[in-house]
Amino acid sequence: MALLQVEDLSLSYGQQKVLNHISFSFEKGKIIGLLGPNGAGKSSIIKILAGLVFPETGILYYREARKRSFSELREHCSYLIDSPAFYPFLSGKQNLKLIKKINNNKSDIDGILSQVGLASAGKKKVKNYSTGMKQRLSIAQAMMRNSELLILDEPFNGLDPNGFQDLMSLLRNLNQKGTTIVVSSHLLNELEQFADVFILLYKGAIAFQTDKKQLMTAKKSVAFTFEKKPDQKAMVYFEDKESSFESETKVILKLDPNDIAKEVQELVGLNCTPINVEIKNILQEKYLEITI
Amino acid sequence: MIRLVHIELYKLFSSGRTYMTLSIGVFLMLIINLGLYTDGEKIFDFLLESINEYFLVQGKVVNGYLITYLALNTLWVHIPILIVIVAAHIFSSEFEMGTIRLLLTQPISRRHLFFAKLITMIVFNACFMLLVSLAAFIPALLLFGKGDVIVFIDGIQFVQEATFMGRLIYALLFATLAMIAFSCLSMFFGLLFKSTLTSILLSLGLLILFTLLQKFIFGIFSAWQPFIFTYHFAKWQMFFVNDIPVASILRSVYFLTGMCLFLILLSWIKFEKMNISE
Repeated sequence: MALLQVEDLSLSYGQQKVLNHISFSFEKGKIIGLLGPNGAGKSSIIKILAGLVFPETGILYYREARKRSFSELREHCSYLIDSPAFYPFLSGKQNLKLIKKINNNKSDIDGILSQVGLASAGKKKVKNYSTGMKQRLSIAQAMMRNSELLILDEPFNGLDPNGFQDLMSLLRNLNQKGTTIVVSSHLLNELEQFADVFILLYKGAIAFQTDKKQLMTAKKSVAFTFEKKPDQKAMVYFEDKESSFESETKVILKLDPNDIAKEVQELVGLNCTPINVEIKNILQEKYLEITI
Repeated sequence: MIRLVHIELYKLFSSGRTYMTLSIGVFLMLIINLGLYTDGEKIFDFLLESINEYFLVQGKVVNGYLITYLALNTLWVHIPILIVIVAAHIFSSEFEMGTIRLLLTQPISRRHLFFAKLITMIVFNACFMLLVSLAAFIPALLLFGKGDVIVFIDGIQFVQEATFMGRLIYALLFATLAMIAFSCLSMFFGLLFKSTLTSILLSLGLLILFTLLQKFIFGIFSAWQPFIFTYHFAKWQMFFVNDIPVASILRSVYFLTGMCLFLILLSWIKFEKMNISE
């Protein structure tokens, strides 16, 4: 059963078409990665799902029940939208208290602050927070509602490597407890390791959609680099394969992930030992294919 | 809804800007009192010279009631300036800080948020007017005592001591309505331009422009006067006329209430339909 299903979503700002009748759905418990270059429509989708922006067309189903508007999703969902914004004249803890009061829940503010690494900075005014600290506070406010769906727009922005790792493990932890997570990002490699479903957007349309299983089993482009141009025997071997030459000494083969080691052995047997083997990232390839 | 109003009030009274504005309002009243306490007699002697030629004046003309009335003249420009600084901030600051996204991604409706902010703005207006009035009235009463009041509104008006308090309360209630109407104007500009500064400048620009037009131009084209809000703002003075022109005051109450409702409706529609894309 799809947790969330969106049909025929479109949005324009004046003459500019931002989203062009797109549809997507995802199941409960998954991590969904929204990918794409700037202006592809990632943030617009998230702002529509948050009820901040009204689409021209679009139907929303949540747990297969049709909703009258996208704003109704707020009942079930927590958000982290774009750059974090809080009341600068209040402390981090006071800001969270406001959110707690709005939601009328009993969340443990101190516990959440320590989970996001802000236990010691809770009493500090937000105007004195760094970007990374504000980002952590945003995550804290999103966690406060304990929603089953968490939507995050570029959550890794402004985080240092430690913060990035902390956030990754925090999100994985939430996902393991059953929270469905939608993350928009342009960090392809990081997202490939993290998400279960990938939606690549380009110019307001879904350019490519896949999941982790397909990504793991799909043929990958593997670049073999040799010290010198391969001999005739090796060239014949490459002609029989799905191959292309990037240069005289670099050949790209489309291979099943399980066959890569076997392929290296065969090349060694042909007296054509590669000095470098590079497995290309499928998402990155698709991304470049679409955007260039 | 009540929870949201509490939150909005908490935010309002956690901001330094609110206290700064309230303090300036109180300080202004104290300065007026102090100034009149030190040099008031000389000024009033000069002003009352002509009256003394025709009337026999007994008792204290310069008394706490007169000082309170004079302090209320700051309602023309000073108090609206102070009020609009906070009123405009209530809405537009959320856009400037980006916190509107934080609020609207919580499970609350735009309608509830809008009306919670509106109620907060009205509460602030009432608090401000009450505080400023007390800051004018209490020191004036302590320093100058009570007495009948002579004021100049369409000629000389004599207000008896016994009726002054009632008139003052009505005048303050009316002035609060006027300030709420003015705050609604700044709220509308705040939502339209999502900028506190623009909202303040536009509201004050209109206030100054209409006050000048009313004083210098509309004197010639008086038929236009009932259509500008500053004309109605000034009606608080009419509570200190001997025979209070009830019908004229009621017309202004209707105008200001209508102005409030119209601006609230426009602002609400704007807020409900607004895309928060930035």
